[in-house]
Amino acid sequence: MANILGVISAAAAIIALEVPGLIRKKLKGELWVFLGLLAIGVVLSFLIALEVDVPSPLEAIAFIYKPMGDIIFGMLER
Amino acid sequence: MQDNWKISGRQFYLLVILYSIGTTILITVNSLANAAGQDAWIPVIIGIVINVLLVWLYNSLAKLYPGMGFVEAVQVALGKWPGKAVSILFIVFPFIGSVLTVSIMGNFVTTLMMPETPVVFINILFAAVVVLGVRLGIETVARTTEILFPIVVFFIIFLIVFSIPELELKNIQPVFEAGIGSILKGAIIFLGIFSLPQVVLLMVFPVGLNREGKEGSFFYKGVLAAGAVILTITIFCIMVLSTDITSHSMYPVYTLAKKISIGDTIERVEAVIAGLWFITIFIRTAVYFYAATLGLSQVLGLKDYRPITLPMGMLVVAISLIVYPDASYEIMWDTEVWPIYALVHGLCLPLLVLVTGLIRSKKHVSGGLSS
Repeated sequence: MANILGVISAAAAIIALEVPGLIRKKLKGELWVFLGLLAIGVVLSFLIALEVDVPSPLEAIAFIYKPMGDIIFGMLER
Repeated sequence: MQDNWKISGRQFYLLVILYSIGTTILITVNSLANAAGQDAWIPVIIGIVINVLLVWLYNSLAKLYPGMGFVEAVQVALGKWPGKAVSILFIVFPFIGSVLTVSIMGNFVTTLMMPETPVVFINILFAAVVVLGVRLGIETVARTTEILFPIVVFFIIFLIVFSIPELELKNIQPVFEAGIGSILKGAIIFLGIFSLPQVVLLMVFPVGLNREGKEGSFFYKGVLAAGAVILTITIFCIMVLSTDITSHSMYPVYTLAKKISIGDTIERVEAVIAGLWFITIFIRTAVYFYAATLGLSQVLGLKDYRPITLPMGMLVVAISLIVYPDASYEIMWDTEVWPIYALVHGLCLPLLVLVTGLIRSKKHVSGGLSS
């Protein structure tokens, strides 16, 4: 529960710091990108705080580059 | 242009040094010893030579696209939409880079210095400093290097001078025992962590310098100075600790610092030496994070990158907690995947942009972005 509260208060603090300025300066595009990124961040933080098994993004990168690495390092090991 | 900062050539030179030393000093030496045994220093020399060629490539890019960050150059070279797609793939590289450095920092502090503190607080604290620095602008970060650089030099000289009594020549012999394959493997690992991430500096490099023309030499000088530091540290780790301890220890340079004992009165200086890494890792994370946020805002056509730094920082902290599932995955990733990932972004992509630029330069290149 403390984790969830931590995430919520962090998100609230970020909004309080940034959103008033964005609205005052009428930076609409920035506001949407800001809210989108924050939403992803909050959802991800919730999942991690609830100890859901979130796969590491490295696995997607490793899926693409590991075969190439295996070929290159395989050639060197002969 | 989104950001009206200018940094001097000297600041860029210091930025290159601290950025390149970055995490290299903490995590490369043991991988090198694993790959090439007591010849771990040979891949470093090969790597530095190749690195000079890489800097030549980056400098040529900078000349071809004056006044543009790398993401803008990609969009000019490849056209608007393909350029945007490739740019997004490129931005993932410094973003993952900053996630990894934050995670490495957290692991290091919780393993060796504060074992009882939950790693999330270390990561939040460190990411908060990085976000603060990047919000103030890269000019602030570059000026910070001027203040921090003497401290780094002092720590490195301290570490080297007081390790000299412990040097054992027999640890480095016989020379050239590792095969050419192992040495090349070591060189690729070294390039992956030390050299290829320098492509991220292209977000800062030609646009941000206040004196056009001579900036290329600062890049070379910075790389050579940082390379000399890593080479010395690698030789010292092998000679003082022996190959076995170097390859089995997670942070060999920390173990090296533990060996320092001056007249039985000055002991346990390793905590002070750790301060050196806090500085270099901070600079590297800040440049990665700056490149990721600035690049994203340029791709999306935002006027200012600063508003998205805080949510991006939250993402960095969240992902840094799950990025390495365990230590063996971390070793596999650092030595087998990351070097290839860095090769694609640090060599293939700049080459592609350079070649398309050269083909187009017959028509018209310096027109800039029309957005």
